[in-house]
Amino acid sequence: MSKTRFIIIKEIRHILRDPRSLVIAIVMPILMTLLYGYAVNLDTKNIKLAVVDEDKSVHSRALVNSFFQSGYFIPSLSAPQINDLEGVLRAGHAHAVLVLRRGFSEAVRTQEPYQVGLVVDGSDANRAAAATNYSNVLLFDFIRRNVSAPTVRPWVWISPRVLYNPDLRSPDFFVPGLIAIILMMISALLTSITIVREKETGTMEQMMTAPVTPKQIIMGKAIPYIGIAFIDGLLVILFAVFHFRVPFEGSYLLLAFFGVIYVTAALSIGVVISTLVRSQLAAMMTALMVTVMPSVMLSGFIFEVKNMPLPLQYLSMIIPARHFIVILRGVMLKGVGAPALWRETLALVLLTSVLLGIAAKRFKLKLG
Amino acid sequence: MIQTILALIVKEFHQIRRDRFTLRLIFLAPIMQMMVLAYAISTDVKYVYTAVYDYDQRELSREFVRSMSVGNYFIPSQSPVPLLESEENLRTGDKNVNLIIPNDFSEGLRNSKPVMIGFVADGANANSASIATGYANLIAFQFSERLSRSAFPVVLRQRILYNPEGESVYHIVPGIVAVLLTMVTTLLTAMAIVRERERGTLEQLMVSPIPIPALILGKIIPFAALGYIEFSIALALGVAWFKIPFVGSWPLLYGLSLLFVLTTLGVGMLISTMTNTQQQAMFFTWFFTIYAILMSGFFIPIENMPFFVQKLTYLNPLRYFMIIVRGIMMKGAGLESLRTEVLALVIFAVSMFSFSWMRFQKRAK
Repeated sequence: MSKTRFIIIKEIRHILRDPRSLVIAIVMPILMTLLYGYAVNLDTKNIKLAVVDEDKSVHSRALVNSFFQSGYFIPSLSAPQINDLEGVLRAGHAHAVLVLRRGFSEAVRTQEPYQVGLVVDGSDANRAAAATNYSNVLLFDFIRRNVSAPTVRPWVWISPRVLYNPDLRSPDFFVPGLIAIILMMISALLTSITIVREKETGTMEQMMTAPVTPKQIIMGKAIPYIGIAFIDGLLVILFAVFHFRVPFEGSYLLLAFFGVIYVTAALSIGVVISTLVRSQLAAMMTALMVTVMPSVMLSGFIFEVKNMPLPLQYLSMIIPARHFIVILRGVMLKGVGAPALWRETLALVLLTSVLLGIAAKRFKLKLG
Repeated sequence: MIQTILALIVKEFHQIRRDRFTLRLIFLAPIMQMMVLAYAISTDVKYVYTAVYDYDQRELSREFVRSMSVGNYFIPSQSPVPLLESEENLRTGDKNVNLIIPNDFSEGLRNSKPVMIGFVADGANANSASIATGYANLIAFQFSERLSRSAFPVVLRQRILYNPEGESVYHIVPGIVAVLLTMVTTLLTAMAIVRERERGTLEQLMVSPIPIPALILGKIIPFAALGYIEFSIALALGVAWFKIPFVGSWPLLYGLSLLFVLTTLGVGMLISTMTNTQQQAMFFTWFFTIYAILMSGFFIPIENMPFFVQKLTYLNPLRYFMIIVRGIMMKGAGLESLRTEVLALVIFAVSMFSFSWMRFQKRAK
């Protein structure tokens, strides 16, 4: 153990001697939290809508107003030509064009059939779907309020209630998940790079001739990074709670416990990568490909796993971040305890032990 | 001069080729990313698991539940727990929505009275919750219409241009092409220069009689070439595998890409002048890439962002390139519709490239 301590001290000196890297390792997570907290919002709004109003009546103006007051649409700055509605869409000046030909007001009064036109830029499928959905709802709503004797009766109403994040704030969803991403980045990426760097500069061989075991080398190199990872995790939580006002309903201790398991898994991946590659560039690209990218894209951090094709859903099961993110959101937003998270706990513990086993074996093999 | 540059380019390619593992990574990584991203990125809201509490249990209420399940937006099923514990459904994440149909549902409808249906959503995923509520509203509207056997006199007739099937792949894949070009050119340039600095070989090159401009060009031309090769592979995959309709002009796309590559090479060089170790270079590149991707409109629409964040996106070269790639590929946009974006990229390319060139030369002295 005491030998491990020396390597830890050596590694900490290495880190401290390069203050720029240390500052980056601390500042980066904060910047990332700010970026994700402010920028990531998948709730489609502010759809740029251009309007062609040939009816020019009280009713047509009221309908157009209700579109812009809904918060989903904003007026496009350029007016479309009636014979070239596509022009504004092609140039990206508008995402949709609402066309009210003559007779709208008449139709509202007499209940004659009438078609409100909507031309949508479909290149972003998600936004196009939102634009048509919102338009339908807004139009229904307008008719209900303005047609004197609506023919459609009776009514079924939906009375919606939202739990856990009633204001539907995006940061509450994205910032907890970010903790998993940052822990993975720091632990897997930094460990693999720092080990490979010793290989690249040839100091790894020197260390191996010294009377220390491979286990001690690895522990000594990994422990300082566990420290950095935890500082980073804590920073993100502080920012989440105090800056973005993300609720923390559950137990800090429970989260820290899961954090240790998760970081162990991440470090193991880092060690395995370091045994596979010879250059820092290769270590970094491998780490990005097998840890960071899947943790961001396949974990449910941004995109829901259940929407993916089945093979990807199965693949996501062996990604530690997928399970840890469920735990993070459960503990932070819903205040759930360990019993509700037994599936994720089981998966995480299983993954971690397998990864740790592989890492130990590979490293011994490499050195022996 | 030209011969010196050529010699340096050959040297760089030898170096790249000698590290087989890295070389394979350089080509494999983008293909894998393309395959995974294209399938994983989907912001459609589907498969909302819905726990049904039907206290009416008659033909009409069952009909309503059936109409909810059309189109796979909602997956309704009997709830496993009693109503009083229904929050547990959402807490554990087993269900996303609890749907509560009151026992006077059929009766109210028969007497032409408005009926309320309870809809309790898990808001942890804000986006899904609000879209699911929108869907539920639409389904209820349509159910009312069908029940009263009359339709609204005024209806919406929509026409969707460019991507009428609503495939999100068509939107995402051109985006991935742009993202890959950014990552490869910035990362490889920065790392290659800093690696030589870390090992001390950069100083050797600098004291040699090679003029600095030749040194820079010899260093970046190979990576520009690699970037172009990957860009082409990604485009080919997009067109051949994902069947993205390419309606615009290929020469225009490749020509405008050059402006963008000059910018990213400039960024790579700039990072290399600001850092001493590969670890630092990696952090800087990584941060630049995240900023560039998140703020480009790649999968998060810029209009959704707060106003001051929207302003930050104007400083992002990828934002403009993203519009150019998508515009040319999907809409067949020509130079005149892309005037603003091209102008912005010209400014970026010239300023970024010359600024980092100057910094590099200054640091070399």
